[in-house]
Amino acid sequence: MADGATSGRPLSPHLQIWRFTVTMAASITHRGAGMALYGGLLLMTLWVVGLALHPPLFDAVSTIIHSPVGFVIIAGFVWSLLFHLMNGLRHLYWDSGRGLAPKTATMTAWLVYIAATILTAVILWAGYGGGA
Amino acid sequence: MSKKGTSSFIIQRATAVMLAPIAVWFLFGIVGALTADYAGARAWLAEPLNGALIGAFFIAGAWHMRIGMEEIIVDYIHSWLKDVLLFLNWLAALGVIAGAAWSLYTIFFAG
Repeated sequence: MADGATSGRPLSPHLQIWRFTVTMAASITHRGAGMALYGGLLLMTLWVVGLALHPPLFDAVSTIIHSPVGFVIIAGFVWSLLFHLMNGLRHLYWDSGRGLAPKTATMTAWLVYIAATILTAVILWAGYGGGA
Repeated sequence: MSKKGTSSFIIQRATAVMLAPIAVWFLFGIVGALTADYAGARAWLAEPLNGALIGAFFIAGAWHMRIGMEEIIVDYIHSWLKDVLLFLNWLAALGVIAGAAWSLYTIFFAG
């Protein structure tokens, strides 16, 4: 390993020199949301298995869903799904070689955060009977 | 992911394209279905369209999440733990597929 401290040459990569960008945040959030959805799909598997094969399991999952913790889980799942879905479309668009200009990527990152948050509010509001 | 990078890359995007429209449909009914009581939830799932789309969501989702988590594991874990986690990751994905398939089979064909 090159000894940058004594040779006077810069070290790379510069792990201490960086600044916050929304595109960086979106990249990290995409992974975080993916991991949340992983847990969510496991929980939903328990829900479906309980529904079809073992009612006591359904009751146990249902009790969690109807607790305050369950509301947080559902809200987190919905937000994660919306974020991962829309940011995933961003990734597919990049795969086509488009939308990669810094200005465009920054704008779409903000857009995904804002849209995911607004749509989560709408879905929760409608889902919990706000419109009824 | 040695020697499997290209196929993982392609499958991850193929499952993403499958999941995107199902996820949009799913988001419309998710809160209502998850908060329903046993009879209501079962009636919802027993609708052929709901059952088929939920089945597709679980299978494509299980594979998509397996590849995604594998990418995270090989990025950050470099010890013996890596193989253990990769194995558990496979197990989780197969568990989701088996659980969903068995449940939907029971509801539609053996209920």
